[in-house]
Amino acid sequence: MKHIVKILGLLVTISAIWIGLLQASIVSSSYAWLLPVYLIILLGCYGLFMVGVGLMFFPTCPQESHLLQKDIAEAKDFLKRKGIDVNSD
Amino acid sequence: MELADKAVGFLLTTISLSIFSYYTFWVLILPFVDSDHFIHMYFLSREYAIIIPLFAGITLLCFLSMFIGYVMLKSKKKSA
Repeated sequence: MKHIVKILGLLVTISAIWIGLLQASIVSSSYAWLLPVYLIILLGCYGLFMVGVGLMFFPTCPQESHLLQKDIAEAKDFLKRKGIDVNSD
Repeated sequence: MELADKAVGFLLTTISLSIFSYYTFWVLILPFVDSDHFIHMYFLSREYAIIIPLFAGITLLCFLSMFIGYVMLKSKKKSA
């Protein structure tokens, strides 16, 4: 609930600033009309950027992966001995 | 495997940065530049600054809904 209130508050602030900018005519009117589109594209760009950076700096742990594979093999062996079939399909 | 991931990440980062800088330049800076500056040759007219993102957004929505519909149909066919 609080998260929605926070997001709504942010939206209301941004629209208030935008309408104020339109009314006060500090910059030309056509310029102010383009600002929300620009903000949306900025948001999309930021998301894409975060995804790209996360992909680039994602840590892979080769030792843990090796240990995990060993654990899986051991568990499969144990269960097969007990008679349960765990062939992954 | 990690190199492919890193390459894709790098590609995404460069795409996002280039789109950001081009669009910022287009919408925020170009209106304040004199209209006979040479830089205007590299940018389309400003109506396209709205049409192109709108078109891209609509294309994205269409593609998403088609994909969701396709997946739903495939799962229904498998369970029937």
